[in-house]
Amino acid sequence: MTLSREMIETQLHDYTLRCEHAEKETDKLAACVQALEDGQMDLFTDDITDKEFINLINENKKLKYRISILKKSIASMGGERSTKPQDDIFSDHMCNILGQLEDIFRKAVLVAYPDVSDPVIQIQLSKHADYQCNAAMALAKILKKNPREVGEMIVKNVAPGPMIEKMDMSGPGFINIVLSQEFIRQQITNVIMNGVTPPPVTPKRVVIDFSSPNIAKEMHVGHLRSTIIGESLSRLLEFLGHDLLRLNHLGDWGTQFGMLIAHLQDNFPDFATKSPPIADLQAFYRESKKRFDEDGDFKKRAYEAVVKLQAHDPVHIKGWEEICTISKTEFQKVYERLGVRIIDRGESFYQSRMEALVKELDDAGFLEEDDGRKVMFADGAGIPLTIVKSDGGFTYDTSDMACIKNRIEEEKGDWLIYVTDAGQAQHFKSFLACAVRAGIYNPSVTRVDHVTFGVVLGEDKKKFKTRSGDTVRLVQLLDEGLQRSEEKLKEKERHKELTPEEFVKARDAVAYGCIKYADLCHDRSRDYIFSFDRMLDFRGNTAAYLLYALTRIRSIARTAGVNREEIVAEAKKKPIELDHEKEWKLARTILKLPDVLVRITDDLYLHPLCEYLYEVSTVFTEFYDNCYCIEKDETGKIVKINHCRLMLCEATAQVMEKCFAILGIETVDKM
Amino acid sequence: MVIHMVTHMMETAEKLSLLGLSEQKVKETLKNEALTALLTSIADQARAKGELTKSVGNLLYNLGTKLPRQFHSCLPFLVDYVADGRINQEAKLTAAIKFIQDHAMGDIDTAAFGKACGVGIEVSQDEIEAGVALVISKQKEAILKQRYRYNTGPLMGQVRASLQWADSRKVKEEIDLQLLTLLGPKREEDLVKPVKTKSDKREKGEVCAVLPVQQPEKQCVTMTEFLKTVTFHAPGDNHKTEGYVITENTHRLLKEHLEITGGQVRTRFPPEPNGILHIGHAKAININFGYAAANSGVCFLRYDDTNPEKEEEKFFVGIRKMVEWLGYKPYKITHSSDYFQQLYEWAIVLIKKGLAYVCHQKPEEVRGYDAPPSPWRDRPVHESLQLFEDMKHGKFDEGEATLRLKTILEEGKADPVAYRIKFVPHHCTGDEWCIYPTYDYTHCLCDSIEHITHSLCTKEFQARRSSYYWLCNALDIYCPVQWEYGRLNMHYTVVSKRKIGKLISEGHVRDWDDPRLFTLTALQRRGFPPEAINNFCATLGLTGAQISIHPDALEACVRDVLNVTAHRAMVVLEPLRVVITNYPNEGPVSVTVPNIPGNDAKGAHTVIFDRELWIELSDFREKEENGYRRLTPQQTVGLRHCGMIINVQEVVKTSSGEVDYLKVTCQPATDSNKPKAFIHWVAHPLKCEVRQYERLFQHECPEDPSVVPGGFLTDINPNSLTISVGLADVSVRGAKVYTKFQFERLGFFSVDPDSTPDFIVFNKTVGLKEDKGKN
Repeated sequence: MTLSREMIETQLHDYTLRCEHAEKETDKLAACVQALEDGQMDLFTDDITDKEFINLINENKKLKYRISILKKSIASMGGERSTKPQDDIFSDHMCNILGQLEDIFRKAVLVAYPDVSDPVIQIQLSKHADYQCNAAMALAKILKKNPREVGEMIVKNVAPGPMIEKMDMSGPGFINIVLSQEFIRQQITNVIMNGVTPPPVTPKRVVIDFSSPNIAKEMHVGHLRSTIIGESLSRLLEFLGHDLLRLNHLGDWGTQFGMLIAHLQDNFPDFATKSPPIADLQAFYRESKKRFDEDGDFKKRAYEAVVKLQAHDPVHIKGWEEICTISKTEFQKVYERLGVRIIDRGESFYQSRMEALVKELDDAGFLEEDDGRKVMFADGAGIPLTIVKSDGGFTYDTSDMACIKNRIEEEKGDWLIYVTDAGQAQHFKSFLACAVRAGIYNPSVTRVDHVTFGVVLGEDKKKFKTRSGDTVRLVQLLDEGLQRSEEKLKEKERHKELTPEEFVKARDAVAYGCIKYADLCHDRSRDYIFSFDRMLDFRGNTAAYLLYALTRIRSIARTAGVNREEIVAEAKKKPIELDHEKEWKLARTILKLPDVLVRITDDLYLHPLCEYLYEVSTVFTEFYDNCYCIEKDETGKIVKINHCRLMLCEATAQVMEKCFAILGIETVDKM
Repeated sequence: MVIHMVTHMMETAEKLSLLGLSEQKVKETLKNEALTALLTSIADQARAKGELTKSVGNLLYNLGTKLPRQFHSCLPFLVDYVADGRINQEAKLTAAIKFIQDHAMGDIDTAAFGKACGVGIEVSQDEIEAGVALVISKQKEAILKQRYRYNTGPLMGQVRASLQWADSRKVKEEIDLQLLTLLGPKREEDLVKPVKTKSDKREKGEVCAVLPVQQPEKQCVTMTEFLKTVTFHAPGDNHKTEGYVITENTHRLLKEHLEITGGQVRTRFPPEPNGILHIGHAKAININFGYAAANSGVCFLRYDDTNPEKEEEKFFVGIRKMVEWLGYKPYKITHSSDYFQQLYEWAIVLIKKGLAYVCHQKPEEVRGYDAPPSPWRDRPVHESLQLFEDMKHGKFDEGEATLRLKTILEEGKADPVAYRIKFVPHHCTGDEWCIYPTYDYTHCLCDSIEHITHSLCTKEFQARRSSYYWLCNALDIYCPVQWEYGRLNMHYTVVSKRKIGKLISEGHVRDWDDPRLFTLTALQRRGFPPEAINNFCATLGLTGAQISIHPDALEACVRDVLNVTAHRAMVVLEPLRVVITNYPNEGPVSVTVPNIPGNDAKGAHTVIFDRELWIELSDFREKEENGYRRLTPQQTVGLRHCGMIINVQEVVKTSSGEVDYLKVTCQPATDSNKPKAFIHWVAHPLKCEVRQYERLFQHECPEDPSVVPGGFLTDINPNSLTISVGLADVSVRGAKVYTKFQFERLGFFSVDPDSTPDFIVFNKTVGLKEDKGKN
């Protein structure tokens, strides 16, 4: 009896289970049907046995995942070609804080508002914090939202990183950014250990054309500006890691060579075998010019000489070479005095290229006949280029076209820079437009900058002339600079403290440094007034003051008896400690350099670098006035050395030296 | 050409024989190119110093074979010492090798070296005689008593303790001589062989090839006890281990490592969270956690979660639960994915160093051992850097690009993959990555990050050891030491995730924790106590060989533990009702039953005795049979614990003639009416379900196609599960899940999680004896 009751119970249990199972199955099927209707396949893949279907579902999942990864990658790159991994940014390079912040905020905006294309991210220095981001204002307008709300949304989406300590909102939607102290300390420590290193930049092949005087003519103060600006830009770009080709586009192929060679033949008939002892090439030039203007017969011979030269007659080539060599040697002396490196590549280099180019342009139908000349028009070129003169000769237009073609196609330049006076703006506009038309130059691939500058004025605010009214010869000017510098240093009784060698070094550094700095510290597009009195002033924003300030900073550690190696060793042990408000201010100022440099590469104006250099020195003075680096007792004995402050001095000196180096100014240990 | 080769061979052979090798040994050695090259270079260097005597040759040979590879830079230094006789005996050579191992990472201080290995010290015959005499005089009594049976081995040691650089042969001769003087020539009694006692027999187990395990003298009971006898390297002595690679940074890195760990042993248990743990993992858990515990160290539980496709949340939880169930507490729980960023940055370092490159060979091209070399191997660094970035950014599809390491595995496989693309979200890192590191790349680096001292793994990974060391050294990071032990395989089961899945989906077992399986959850459910599993692992030892174990061995360990822990209960599986007609009491009475007989400390419980009770159907037979000792109409039987014997009064039958119930009379058991047997019984019982199991497979190796050609699914034992409804005594009422009982005369049982408060389900854990003859 008991057993059979149990059997029934077991059976009942069994049936209940089967029933439950069936009910579950029904629910599942219903869910499947629902999922199918909703298009949500993931929910019931467990029950599907069709392999192909499962594979498709998996593939779909993977593709979706890939889309999300790709979207994130695009956002992380901010649409730019910056694929440097993180570790590079903070080890090999100084951080361009502003640029990095822009990047961080651009990403944050893109994450917060993925539909906004190319948002404008404005970040500037802030009085309330370190930096301020104003992106929310413009964005709010586009999105038709409350700027504060937008700002908060951006803040929320800022990816965590080592740079930012905190952010808060102020006003209608400004985001105040406070940098992490840890980050600042680490960056300063890096400067001490590794020196000033460039911010991360994608390297380019840069062809820069500057100085470019004419053979057989003297360099004058106009060439000075091109030389100084060009050299400084070259140094900046090289520091940033670009591959530079510095070219001196010498005027060595003009008609003036006809008269020069004719005059040479008359005065030094044996020039082909014996180098002519021409001491003053300028006088030689003036003599031949006088004959050319006054003597019809000579003029005819001069023209014949040009034709023979261009036909590569060996004797004429020899004469041309002699004249060029004398001239180049003169130029080289000036370049050496100014610390300029440049490769001579005159117009003659392009002769064969011009011939080929003319044929090419003609064949392609770009050239038009105009009164015997061949000209080329282009949209945006106000005046057509004269490619071939009526006598079959070439012009500046022709050589500049051949030149840009060579620099883009043969030299593989990504970025071409021409440093010339502002008067050539129209010419550049025209030949660049034609180069675009001819398919030589594509602005979206190659960057071309025409770096122009104003004229040099005398203290009377008129064009800089000698008292006799002649243009000022560069050599003369430099000599005067040396003399004035010497006087100034003697006035300050430096000759009593320095050894003769130190004195000469200081004199040269001050003289050339002042001439360059006076030029570079002004907005280059404006005319500037040349004044030795002003540039040699030991107060204010002058090279004389700044060079002196640097020697003072360097002397602090020297006085303390601590050498650079010891400071670096100290920094290697642990990051610098910063405490005093003025220490923090100096540290922040030091770290601005990379941003200043990156900014300069946008518009190629160098005066912000001078302003920055001056700012560093004034902030340093503030620091030095408030913070003891070395403490001495009444007897002048050192009782305490603050190593962290010495580290800060070291970083300041490093930054200043780097600025001077970029500006092309020699620094000295003592002056 | 041929002649040239022959002469070359002869020259080499000659050189080898200079080192005291016999002709036969020379032939064998010549087959080992590396060793031959080493020995000939030693011979060349030594010969330059002059003729080699036989003893110098022997020492040189020992030097060449005993000095670990990583110290070979010191070989010329040592050869000089041996060749010119400054090191002129085995003991000095051993001391020299030890000195080099201890001081290899700096310049060798020759003075200290000379002192440490007795250079220039010669022990005279007089000193030996005096030393031996002293030692023998101390042991004189014992020697005289035991005569030539006296074990002279320790005497050698004692002499050497005072005369460290005494020549051992001379010492031996001197001892023999002095013993002979003392005892005189051997007599008849000295020639009788001593009877070997049982304990003298050494178990001849597998000889350990890799691990310096000292065989425990007696069987250790627990894992910790056993692992205390294991001598791996001491933390910080990494460089002294066989095959370790010493670089210029090793010294510094080991120093830093010791500063970080404080010299503590650090191990890790690194399961992939893609399945559940089985008995094989229990060994790994025990070795890693156990070794740390035995040395006051720490053990990490690291989920090796580098393959997101196969990982699921439940596996993470399950693994942790099982580790804790076995009684171990992880020092820290980490994930390989915790280090993805670091691993990625290191990959960039490797690319920059020219040690890794992006490859576009298809997976099917690279498979197998003769895979063609990658045409992308020598691509420029910047290109690989860019492409690796592209991989990370999702620019390549799965399989279109991998990052490969420029190293060759022992087994000859070239350039293992370090990173591959998978468009799959990760359990921990979400959608952050689409490139995932491989085991080869991740494992050693995570060990290094966690400053693991002993990276213990199964023998299969021996082939990865060189790439393990290579990678750590390529990155100039701390390099742990890898030790291998044999994998554990269990007979009569399968453990692979896929195969168990198949068993479940085809209905052969219920789930992952079906007690017929050997997953840890299954063993838990079946009622195996964790300490039994741990003890079982301790019995396996640390040999390098792969071990296949019969489940009986594990079950024996289980029985040992349950015998002294599981409380007794009486359960009737096939009930036969019995009514006592002369029941002496008014109603039900309590009977006290010891929880564990013979151990009063474990307490007792009560069961109810009453007029109506149930006994096993098999404990009654209507007809008397020879040898049947239990209840028949003619034969009484005792009821356990209640002190009664019963006598059949009437066999009541159903209408169909089957036995319905018995009417019996009872009387107290006395010395005079002693029954032949006592049986278990229940009164006022609880109904319960009892699940009894047999092996799931019929053959030892169900996966072996030579034994089971149809595949493991065809080898299933159809009778592996028997479910019955039984009657249990009241003491089991309210028993919690996993409570273990010994059902009297039936076996050990454990409460299954399927139980409800009203209806307990029991699983049979193991029988009472290994051979389960029931009668």
